[in-house]
Amino acid sequence: MTEFEPKIIGFLCNWCSYAGADLAGVSRIQYPANIRVIRVMCSGRVDPVIVLEMLANGADGVIVTGCHPGECHYMEGNLQAERKIKMLKKLISRTGLESERLRLEWVSASEGARFAEVIKDFTNQLRNLGASPLAGENPDKTILAGIIAAKAVAGASRLRTLVGRERTLIEEGNVYDEKVGQREFDEVMDGSIDAEYIRNRIHLLVKDKPMSVEGLAKHLGLDPKNVLRHIVVLRQRGLVSLDRIEGEDPLYIALEVS
Amino acid sequence: MRDKVGAILVVGGGIAGIQASLDLADSGFKVYLLDESPSIGGTMTQLDKTFPTNDCAMCILAPKLVTAGRHPNVELIMGAEIKRVEGEAGHFQVSLVKKPRYIDEEKCTGCGVCARECPVEAIDEFNERLGERSAIYVKYPQAVPLVYAIDRDKCIGCGTCQEVCKAGAVQYDEKEKEITVHVGSVILAPGFEEFDPKLKGEYGYGQHSNVVSSIEFERILSASGPYGGLVLRPSDGKVPRKIAFIQCVGSRDAKIGNNYCSSACCMYAIKEAVIAREHNPDLQCTIFFMDVRAYGKEFDAYYNRAEDEYGVRFIRSRVSHVEEVPESQNLLVNYVEDGNPKTEEVNLVVLSVGMRPPRHAEELAKTLNIRLNKYDFCSTQTFSPLETSRPGIYVCGAFSAPKDIPESVAQASGAAVKAASLISSERGTLTTVKEYPPERDVSDEAPRIGVFVCHCGINIGGFVNVPEVVEYVKALPNVVYAEHNLYTCSEDTQKGIRERIKEHNLNRVVVASCTPRTHEPLFRETVREAGLNIYLFEMANIRDQCSWVHMHEPEEATVKAKDLVRSIVAKVRLLKPLKKPMIGVTPTGLVIGGGLSGMTAASELAKQSFEVHLVEKEKELGGHLRHIHYVLGSKNPQEQLRSIIKEVTGNEKVHVHLNSEISDVEGYVGNFKTTLNCDGKKKEINHGIVIIATGAKEHRPTEYLYSIDKRVLTQQELEEKLTNGQFDAKTVAMIQCVGSRNGTRPYCSRICCSQAVKNALKIKESSPETDVYILYKDVRTYGFLEDYYREAASKGVLFIRYDDENKPKVTLEHGKLNVLVWEPVIKTWIPIEPDFLTLSTATISNPDNERIAKMLKVPLSKDGFFLEAHMKLRPVDFATDGVFLCGLAHWPKSIAESISQACAAAARAITILSKEALEVEGAIANVNEDFCSGCKICESICAYNAIEMKEVDGKLRAHILEALCKGCGVCGSSCPTKAICMLHFTDDQILAEVRAALEEEAKYD
Amino acid sequence: MTKSAFKPKIVGFLCNWCSYAGADLAGVSRIQYPPTLRIVRVMCSGRVDPVFVLEAFRSGADGVLVAGCHPGDCHYLSGNYKAQRRILMLKKVLEQLGLEPERLRLEWVSASEGDRFATIVKDMTEEITKLGPSPLSVGGHFNVKK
Repeated sequence: MTEFEPKIIGFLCNWCSYAGADLAGVSRIQYPANIRVIRVMCSGRVDPVIVLEMLANGADGVIVTGCHPGECHYMEGNLQAERKIKMLKKLISRTGLESERLRLEWVSASEGARFAEVIKDFTNQLRNLGASPLAGENPDKTILAGIIAAKAVAGASRLRTLVGRERTLIEEGNVYDEKVGQREFDEVMDGSIDAEYIRNRIHLLVKDKPMSVEGLAKHLGLDPKNVLRHIVVLRQRGLVSLDRIEGEDPLYIALEVS
Repeated sequence: MRDKVGAILVVGGGIAGIQASLDLADSGFKVYLLDESPSIGGTMTQLDKTFPTNDCAMCILAPKLVTAGRHPNVELIMGAEIKRVEGEAGHFQVSLVKKPRYIDEEKCTGCGVCARECPVEAIDEFNERLGERSAIYVKYPQAVPLVYAIDRDKCIGCGTCQEVCKAGAVQYDEKEKEITVHVGSVILAPGFEEFDPKLKGEYGYGQHSNVVSSIEFERILSASGPYGGLVLRPSDGKVPRKIAFIQCVGSRDAKIGNNYCSSACCMYAIKEAVIAREHNPDLQCTIFFMDVRAYGKEFDAYYNRAEDEYGVRFIRSRVSHVEEVPESQNLLVNYVEDGNPKTEEVNLVVLSVGMRPPRHAEELAKTLNIRLNKYDFCSTQTFSPLETSRPGIYVCGAFSAPKDIPESVAQASGAAVKAASLISSERGTLTTVKEYPPERDVSDEAPRIGVFVCHCGINIGGFVNVPEVVEYVKALPNVVYAEHNLYTCSEDTQKGIRERIKEHNLNRVVVASCTPRTHEPLFRETVREAGLNIYLFEMANIRDQCSWVHMHEPEEATVKAKDLVRSIVAKVRLLKPLKKPMIGVTPTGLVIGGGLSGMTAASELAKQSFEVHLVEKEKELGGHLRHIHYVLGSKNPQEQLRSIIKEVTGNEKVHVHLNSEISDVEGYVGNFKTTLNCDGKKKEINHGIVIIATGAKEHRPTEYLYSIDKRVLTQQELEEKLTNGQFDAKTVAMIQCVGSRNGTRPYCSRICCSQAVKNALKIKESSPETDVYILYKDVRTYGFLEDYYREAASKGVLFIRYDDENKPKVTLEHGKLNVLVWEPVIKTWIPIEPDFLTLSTATISNPDNERIAKMLKVPLSKDGFFLEAHMKLRPVDFATDGVFLCGLAHWPKSIAESISQACAAAARAITILSKEALEVEGAIANVNEDFCSGCKICESICAYNAIEMKEVDGKLRAHILEALCKGCGVCGSSCPTKAICMLHFTDDQILAEVRAALEEEAKYD
Repeated sequence: MTKSAFKPKIVGFLCNWCSYAGADLAGVSRIQYPPTLRIVRVMCSGRVDPVFVLEAFRSGADGVLVAGCHPGDCHYLSGNYKAQRRILMLKKVLEQLGLEPERLRLEWVSASEGDRFATIVKDMTEEITKLGPSPLSVGGHFNVKK
């Protein structure tokens, strides 16, 4: 059996990291051939939805590289990338997929060697991790469902708003001219990730067939009490409605949204 | 002395505060209504239904909220607290601290986009923590004022709301403000706090998910609650099959220091059980109780129905503790019944939590310098139940004692009359009368309709193609102008509408936006300011009933919006200007009945300078109070009686007619003419209102050897004996519910339990060795009366329960009275040989009521008491305007309750008497006498007695009493000859609307 | 027009105090329901003259909904009871005219029953879709170009 070779997608910013990769080439520094590079103008451009899409399609790893802090061609796009990746890692870890499959690194235009080193290291790490459970003919259904839910979360305004404002709120201050503590912010962020992720899982599940709170709780490995709270919100948002009551169990179904 | 101020500060925006504010504002005073929360409405907004009518709480409350919110004499001060009070009765200077809301109350349109975009979630307190809301929020969807607020504790300050608010209402730099108001008097209505059930650890609240409080259960029951009206258990969302209600959680509990009874819990628990059963007919509800205290009007009937029709089980027992079954999260309710420990497994436990004084009671009392009682409720006296210890500061609602909604509403009106009385010389000095330009006569003009279509930010514009609707509308016949606005309700658009009316000579206006229920008054005002009659305006509801409910079908929503506007335009084409007739008011009152209630009402009217005729059938004033010699918690009632008689007879405004009865009544609100029969002589008086205070009577029993043996007395007779010093006994037995709560008189007479306790204590006071036995069905010493029950028990009064199957037996044995009472635990009849047997007899309605009711055309309940307009929110009104009731004519009640109600009736009456003329609604019924056949059908179906038959040219014709018509239109749709036209909703107008709604949209396609 | 594309036209007479408020609450709560209903506001369900209902059918309505306060809740004390009797009578008239009585519905909707209101509109739309266009309907549906 040949050794497992991970497929890696690399998002490289045009101004630093892409140049760094070029430099690696010019300097003929060797690194594993696993990476497929996608050039973006700024690491901050990498939309969490796209990363999740890559992972859903079976990429074994995704790496985002950008300029070192303070060197971003677009002032602070890289810092935005950092917040996005942090959120994404939290989100991914909830799906059952290893969050190590996503990595962020700073590579400057002069760091050809470092670029090669990073790729080598990431490739080795992924070799050890093994193939993504979403790769191949039979992707892990549960994890896939999780990633699809995560995609919906990453695409919706709540988390995008939070991520988009995180840096300003913490470093520059909020509308009340107060700096928000990182811990306080993380609490809001983690709570939002948890809640929205579960809600989207539920929403996806009841798209297929009506389900009860108990059924959903079993499926998701959650306390039914929490599932009910999320059903309350989903009903308020008009995403889920009561289908029928079977015995003691109300069954909920996703509302058709055309 | 400084001048008095014609304004009142009302503290607390619950139902009591709202009622007090409206009564005052309608009587010519300026009102500042203060609430610490961002919206008015109080606890009642959280309730699903209300007992005993099962009315939807929001249905009956919302119109009052809107009226209070828009009243020109009511200024809402939300999110504020009292900081300091200076001055004295008549002229207080009150400093308030208003917390920042971070939203401009003038600019916010309540559209809700901010809340939908806010990324921060918070626990929804309105839904009792069973759901989530955002950090920017309104308390509930129908909130008044409908202005959002930022929860600063939760907000992280991200700025999203400001960005999405198209109205520019968000202002993060808002700071805490100090406001000073000058008022003549203050009314306190801060309500109550629910008891925290965590303090009763044995019931497992906070530990077991399926143990909920009664207020949480209200939200669970509510159709607009977190579970959308499904009764579910919080642990797993399953439908419960068995629910247990545990009573007296935090009430009647010496261990936690709340000795008093919370008065409303028995009834609300029964209601919750009944409503839950209506949700799910297989549900088994069990109520664990000590006494069922269904003492109010129609309460026992409700209780009986719950048991007989809804199969609610009642188990008389105090629950010792509740355990959770770990696997099922079901609950084991452990209790003792008849001496045996028992356990019942249920799916959900509801704890009927009691009422506590408001959180800041102590602080408030300190700031205001008023006294609290030992439980930290506001201290009041029996004969002055609405006065705090500080002159000029009054109290109503649950702050003075736990009470239900109708009692709170009655007290609120009562407090209003007291607060106004102090400053009645200043009536009308601070209220504003708006000046309008003269109305343009448009009767000869062809319709020229202007249509204003609202985007409502993105609320309509996001789903309905608003410009397309405007283009479509422009092509409709008679539409000469149409435009679209970001917010049609904004200040600048209002100005724009007025300008367009002038520029384009518009004579009809349509606004297509949200709902007329909240916004019609605003736009009517706008067109009126531009010289148009308010009835030349209509709204098309393209938001609440279109864009918001068809969010995923923008094309169809646009088609529907066009249809809605088209059909409203079709109606508007036919609109006619209407006049609001003015009806003169005779500023004189008539009070029927010279007992405590009647005298109090008369005195309150006179104090505010209104003439009043007080009619008493007997030869002296005083009524039932003449027979009361001592009262629980109060000194010398006879002295109080003398003082109030003096007050009434000494006031030249009060005309007392003794030995008199009314023999004929003519007329209607503002203009009654009543004939009195005074000692055989006829007197005619003109008056604007009537207050019925005819009292009630003590029932004379036929059972238990009453009237056969002299030692068998009624409580009143015992009281006479105890007062006259003729009492000497070793043993006294009392039997409760004699003539009450039985087949013929199924109701509870409310006062007999405390009467028995009162007499028992009196006996113990003079001869502690005398044995007193009270044989009862339920001890109904509600509120603070519970203290006296406890005192009696501690002094050795023996309370022995009996039920209907084993009623006490009374016989004469060798000349001695022998009472046998069944003891259920040892299952045997116990003999008592009392020297006196006292019967707590029913209070029965005055037999004169029937005659009086017919003359005034007002209804009676099946027990012969007067039946008010609405048991919850209009406790002293009748459906017929200008007629009010109070005291025992309404239902048995205590002295304090009678006084509160009498004051309330006076307050309600003054809302009419204080006006020179009453403005009548223009959209009312109108009779075409040529078509009328005089069949009287309309007369018989009008619920307001607004139609009377008059002879016109020798024929009977229906005649509308404009002052009484409420504009429902039921007469019009029932008239066989179509002689009645319902103005503003005429047949032609409605039919045009219907036809246009169904037209094909050919033109636009 | 194929049968499956048939979208019923329903006229709803809603009393101002309960049902109209309930319909508003459905909106405030963003509860979605089919765009088949055209609401006519009346002060009381008891105001609905039989003529209005018949005229609605004559003008091509496929269904008519009359909604009022729950029994006992009527803002005008008893108007809804009158509506109830009238609708019973009208259903008989409809039958004689050859119209299915199911095309006419009376429902009680309180101000807090936004969900219930939406469900009623959904149900009624489904039921009338099954019944097909009213025999009196002159040929139309709400023209929507898709």
